[in-house]
Amino acid sequence: MPAYYLEILILLLGFTMLGIEAFSSNRSRSGIAVLGISGLFVVLLFLIIAVPSSEVPYDYWGIYHVDKWALFYKAIAILTTLLVLVLAKDFSSAFKKYTSQSNEFSGIGEYYCLPIFVCAGLMWMASAKDLITIFVSLELVTIGFYVLVSFMRRNVGSLEAGVKYLVLGALSTGFLVYGIAWIFGVTGHFDLSGIAEALNSGEIEKKPIIFAFALLMVGLGFKVAAVPFHIWVPDVYQGTSMPITAFLSVGSKAAGFIVLLRVIEPFLNSPLTSSSVILILSFLVCVTLFFGNLVAIKQTNIKRLLAYSSIAHAGFLMMALPAMESGFHSKLIGPSPMESISFYLAGYLLMTMLCFLVITIVSSLTDGENIDDLRGLGARSPLLAFAMLVGVASLAGIPLTVGFFGKFLLFNIAIQYAVFSGSWYIVAFAVLGASAGFYYYFKIIRAMYCGGAEQDGDQLALTISTLSRVVIIVLLAGVILCGVFPKLILGFL
Amino acid sequence: MTTAFIILLLPLVAAASNLLLLRKKANFSAFVSTFSAAICLVLTFGLIRQDDLNNLGSFNWIKIADLKLDIGIELHGLGLGMILVVTLIGFLVHLFSLGYMREDAGKARYFSGLSLFMFSMTGIVFADNLAMMFIFWELVGVSSYLLIGHWYHKNTAAEAAKKAFLVNRIGDFGFMIGILLIWGSFGSVNFVEIEGSLRNGNGNYDKGLLNWSVFCIFCGAIGKSAQVPLHVWLPDAMEGPTPVSALIHAATMVAAGVFMLTKVLFLIEVAPTAASVIQYVGAITALIAALMATQQNDIKKILAYSTLSQLGYMIMAVGFAGLLSGGEVLGEKASNAGFFHLYTHAFFKALLFLGSGAIIYACHHEQNIWKMGGLIGRMKVTSFTFLIATAALAGIYPLSGFYSKDAIMTIAANKPLLLVIGSFVAFLTAFYMTRLCVVVFFGRARSWSSEEAKEVPLLMLVPLLVLTIGAIFAGQTFAYSWFVPSKDIPHPEGVVLPLILTAIAVAGIIAGFFLYRGRDQEPYPVQVLSRKFYLDEIYIILVRIFQDAVAWVAKQIDRLLIDGLLVRGVARLVTEIGSVLRGMQSGNLQGYAFLFGVGVILVLYIINAAIG
Amino acid sequence: MLDQYLPVLMQLSVATGFAVSTLLISVLLGKSAKSNAIKDSAYECGMLPIGDDKPRFSVKFYVIAMLFVIFDIEVVFMYPWAVTFKNFLANGQAAMVFWSMSGFVGILLVAYLYALKKGALSWKS
Repeated sequence: MPAYYLEILILLLGFTMLGIEAFSSNRSRSGIAVLGISGLFVVLLFLIIAVPSSEVPYDYWGIYHVDKWALFYKAIAILTTLLVLVLAKDFSSAFKKYTSQSNEFSGIGEYYCLPIFVCAGLMWMASAKDLITIFVSLELVTIGFYVLVSFMRRNVGSLEAGVKYLVLGALSTGFLVYGIAWIFGVTGHFDLSGIAEALNSGEIEKKPIIFAFALLMVGLGFKVAAVPFHIWVPDVYQGTSMPITAFLSVGSKAAGFIVLLRVIEPFLNSPLTSSSVILILSFLVCVTLFFGNLVAIKQTNIKRLLAYSSIAHAGFLMMALPAMESGFHSKLIGPSPMESISFYLAGYLLMTMLCFLVITIVSSLTDGENIDDLRGLGARSPLLAFAMLVGVASLAGIPLTVGFFGKFLLFNIAIQYAVFSGSWYIVAFAVLGASAGFYYYFKIIRAMYCGGAEQDGDQLALTISTLSRVVIIVLLAGVILCGVFPKLILGFL
Repeated sequence: MTTAFIILLLPLVAAASNLLLLRKKANFSAFVSTFSAAICLVLTFGLIRQDDLNNLGSFNWIKIADLKLDIGIELHGLGLGMILVVTLIGFLVHLFSLGYMREDAGKARYFSGLSLFMFSMTGIVFADNLAMMFIFWELVGVSSYLLIGHWYHKNTAAEAAKKAFLVNRIGDFGFMIGILLIWGSFGSVNFVEIEGSLRNGNGNYDKGLLNWSVFCIFCGAIGKSAQVPLHVWLPDAMEGPTPVSALIHAATMVAAGVFMLTKVLFLIEVAPTAASVIQYVGAITALIAALMATQQNDIKKILAYSTLSQLGYMIMAVGFAGLLSGGEVLGEKASNAGFFHLYTHAFFKALLFLGSGAIIYACHHEQNIWKMGGLIGRMKVTSFTFLIATAALAGIYPLSGFYSKDAIMTIAANKPLLLVIGSFVAFLTAFYMTRLCVVVFFGRARSWSSEEAKEVPLLMLVPLLVLTIGAIFAGQTFAYSWFVPSKDIPHPEGVVLPLILTAIAVAGIIAGFFLYRGRDQEPYPVQVLSRKFYLDEIYIILVRIFQDAVAWVAKQIDRLLIDGLLVRGVARLVTEIGSVLRGMQSGNLQGYAFLFGVGVILVLYIINAAIG
Repeated sequence: MLDQYLPVLMQLSVATGFAVSTLLISVLLGKSAKSNAIKDSAYECGMLPIGDDKPRFSVKFYVIAMLFVIFDIEVVFMYPWAVTFKNFLANGQAAMVFWSMSGFVGILLVAYLYALKKGALSWKS
C-alpha cells in the first residue's frame, strides 16, 4: 500500500462520518465518535503494518515525501486525533448545552468529524517538502481549527476565542504567504531541496532571503506557540472546549515542528544564512523559555496554566534547533536534534493527553476549571489523581517518566552545543525555566493531595467510562514505560 | 543473576508486593520488608567476602546511536563499606520500626516506603555510571518524600515533604547538568571510562569547563547532603517517623552526597577551583549547623543540625582531594578521611536517632528536651547507649568518632583557616551534645510524660545495642581495613593533634555540663541561633520577592503594552475608524494583533542588526 | 517600452467609454428627467443603503452566498486540469488524470450532499 493512501483513507473516514451525521436519523451522536475512533485505530495499524519499507524514503511527484520522520509524525497525528475523539466523547455531556438550544446531542456530530479532516492536514504537513504543499496542508489544519475553536457557539468565551484565533491565524498566514513569495522571488524555487541548492549557489543576496526566512518563522512560530507569536495561546486555550485545547497543544504543535525542522534545515546548512538563522532561533528560544515558564507561575486556571506550559515546552523543544547547524552535527554525542525533538513530542503527546483526559473528566462533572477544583481529587478518585500526578510529574521532568528523558536529551544537545558555540545563555534560560516548572506543576499535585475537598458535594466519587479508564491506563503505562525504556519510542526513529 | 542483583532487587520486590498485594495485611507486609532486609544483610556479608568483585553483572539499558546507558554494578573499596552501612543499619532500622510503628495505621505503606528506599539506596551504591546513579538518586528522593510525608494528614509533615522535594530538585538539576557536561566532554558516563580517558588525556574537555562540571555535580551533593544554602529541608524532614530519620536523614541517604563525591574523586582532583568551593561549603555548613544546634529545644532537631554539621565535615574533607596551592594532591587520602567519618558517623548517629526514638516513644511522643529529664534512672539501657554515642560523636578516645575526626583534622591541617573552623566545630559538637544529655537524662523530670517513661521493649533495644558495638569499634583498624587499608587513611603524625582535639572536646563537655546542670529552661537564649540565622524566613521572603517580581513583570506587560499602549492608543484609534468587532472585547484582540506585529518587527530588527 | 501596456489602455478606455455612453444615452433617450429622492438613491442589490450600521441578516443569506462562491470558484480549478490533460495522456497516465478529477468532484459532491441534507439550500425552515 503506498503511503499516500493513508490520507485518502482518513478523508474517506471523515466523509463517511459526515454522511452519517447528515443522513442518520439517530439522535445520539456517540456512534459517530466510536466510528471515528475505531477508524483512526485501523488507519494507525495500516501505517505501522501495511506501509512497505521499500516505500521509505520515497518521493511522490516532488510534492509528497515519505520518510521515517514523516511516518512518525503521521502516527503522532493519528494518535492525537484518536485521543481527542475520546476526550470529545467524554466531554459531550458538558458540551451539548453550548451547542444546542434544547440541550440535545444533535449539534455535535461535526465536532467528531472535523478533527478527522484536521488530522489529514496534519499528516500532509508531515510529508510536505514543498512550500506550496506546506501552505495548503497548513491551511487545511488551520481552517478546521477555526471552526473547532468556536464550536461551542452558545458560549461567549468560545466565540471570543474563535474570533481571536481566526484573526491572528489569518495574520500569521499572511506573513507565511508573504515569506513564501519572497523565497520564491529570491530563489525561484518552492521545493526545499531546490531552495537548498539555490542558497548554496552563491548567487543570492543575504538580506532578502533572511527577510523571507523571518516571515516564515512568524507563520511557523504561531503554529508551535513560540514567544512573541504566542499571544493567542492563553486566551484561545482557556476559551475553547477542553478536547480542542488538547488538540491544539499537541497536534498543531507536533505538525508545526516537523515543518519547522524541514524548513530551517537548508537555511542552517548554508554558510550564507546560518549565523543569522541561529541568532533568530536563539532569541526565540530564550524569550519563549523565559516568558512561558515565569508567567505560568501565577496562573490559577488550569487550562491557562497548561497554555503557558505549552509555550514553555515549545521553548524546550526549540532549544535543540540551533544545534542542527551542520558544523556541529558530527561532534554531537547521543541522539540528533531531530530524534530528540521527535522523542520529546511523542512523550509530550502521552503526558499532555493524560493530563487533559483527567481534567476533562473532572471538569465535565464538576464544571470547574481552576486548580482549586482539583482539591481532594486524591480522595475522590485515586486513579484520576494518580494519572494526573504522573502526567504532571512528567511535564515537570521528574525522572522515570517520559518527560524526564525528553528533557534529558534536549538538555544534552543544548549543553553540548553550548560547549561547541559558547551559547551558555540558552542553557541558563532553560535551567531557570525548568526550575520554575517544578514549582508551578507542584501546585497541581498539592491541590490534589494536600487540600481536602471543602464542600460535601465534592466528596462524591467520580464516575469514569470504561473507554476513558482504558485510555487513561494505557497512557499512564506509556508515560512510565517510555520513561524507563525510552527505546520504545526511539526504536521507531 | 548475581548476588549483587539479588541484593538490589529483593527490596523492590518486597516494596511492590507490599504495595500491590499486602495492603490490607499490615503485619505481614512489615514482616516481608524486614525479612527482605535481613536477607540482603546476609547476602551482603557473602558479597563482601567474595574475592572476585569484577563482573558483578551489567546489562544494557538504552543504546541509541552513541548514547549508551548501562545498568551495571561496580563495587570495590569504599563502596563495600557503604553497602554494609546501608544493609546493616537498614536492617536494624526495620527491626526497630517493628516496635516503633506497631500501632501505626499506615504500617504497610511505611514498610513499602522503607523497602523502596533500600532498593534505591543500594542502587546508588552499586552504580557504575553517573546516569544510573542519577536515576537511583531521584528514587531515594521519592522514597524520602514519601516517608517524610508519612503522616501526611499533619500539615507540617506534608509541608516538610514538599520542601524536601523542591529543595532537592534544585540540587538535582545541577547534578543532571553536571552529568551532561561530563558526558559532552568525555563521551561516557561510566566511572571507569571517564577516569581512563582523563588519565590518557583523551576527551575534549578544558579546565574551566571541568571545574564547572564538578561544581554542577557537587550541586547534587549540596541538595542531598543538605549543605548550605540548601540545608533548610533536613531539619524540617524530622517530621517523618524517627526510624526514618535515623536511616535516611542521618546514616545513609544524606551521606549519599559524600559517597557520590568519593566516586568522582578523579574529577575533583583535576578541578582545584571547584574543590576549594567544596571545602568551604563543607566548612561553613559544619560551623553554621553546629551553632544552630546549640539553641534547639527539640531533641530530633538538635540531632538533625548535628547531622548537618558532621556532613559538612565529610564534604570539607573530600574537597581536599583537589590540587592544593602547594602543588600537592591529597586525592584518595582526603576522600578516605571523609568516607571514614561517614562510616563511623553512620553507626553513632543512627544510634542517637534510634535512641531519641526510644525516648520519644517512652515519653508519649514528647520531643521537647525541656519537658524531659532524669531519664537515666528510668531507661537505663537506652541512656547508656545514648551516652556512648554522644561520647563517640564528641570524639572521645577510644570510641570510633575519635579516629575519624582525627583523620579529618589531619587533612584539614593543610589549610589553617579550615583547621581552626573544624576545631571550633568540634568544641561546639561536644558542647551541644552534653547540653542535650544533661537536660534529658539528668536533673528532675519536668513533665508527666517523662515521669511515666519506662524502658522500651526488647525488640527496640536490640538494634540500639548492636549499633552501640558499632559506635565503639567502627574506628578500629579491624573494622574498616577490609575495605580500605589502614595506611590509606590519614592518621595524625605524633600525638599533638589528637591531644589538642581531645582537650577541645573535653572542654566542650565540661562547659556544657556546668552551664546546663540543674537548669529547667534555656538559661542563655540566643535568638539568632534558635531562629536558625533567620534563613528560613529569608528564603520565604526571597521566594515571595521573586514571585512578586514575576507577577509585577507580567502585570506591567499587561498594563503597559496591552492596556496603555494598545487599548488606549491603537485601539482607540481603531475604534474611532469604526470597529467591525465591537462588543467582542475588540480592544484586546486588536491589541494582540498589534503585539504580534511588534514581535515580527522585533525579529526583523534583530536580523537587520545581525546582517549589519 | 510602454507598447506592452497598450491593451491595458484600450481596456480602460473601453470600460470608461461604455459607462459614460450608457449614462449619456439614458439621459438622451429617456423622458425628461423628473428626479425624486427614491429614484436618485443608490441601488444596492435591493438593500436599503441607509439605516442601522449593524443590520442583522439571516445567516442563510451568508450560507447561500458562500456555497455559491465555493461551487463557482471550484470550476476555476478545472481549467489547469483541462490544460495539462493532454500531456498526461501522452505520457500514458490516463488513470491519474481520471482519478484526480474524480476525487476532486467527489469531494465536492459529498460537500454538496451534506449541505443539501443539512438544509443549507432551503430558504424556509
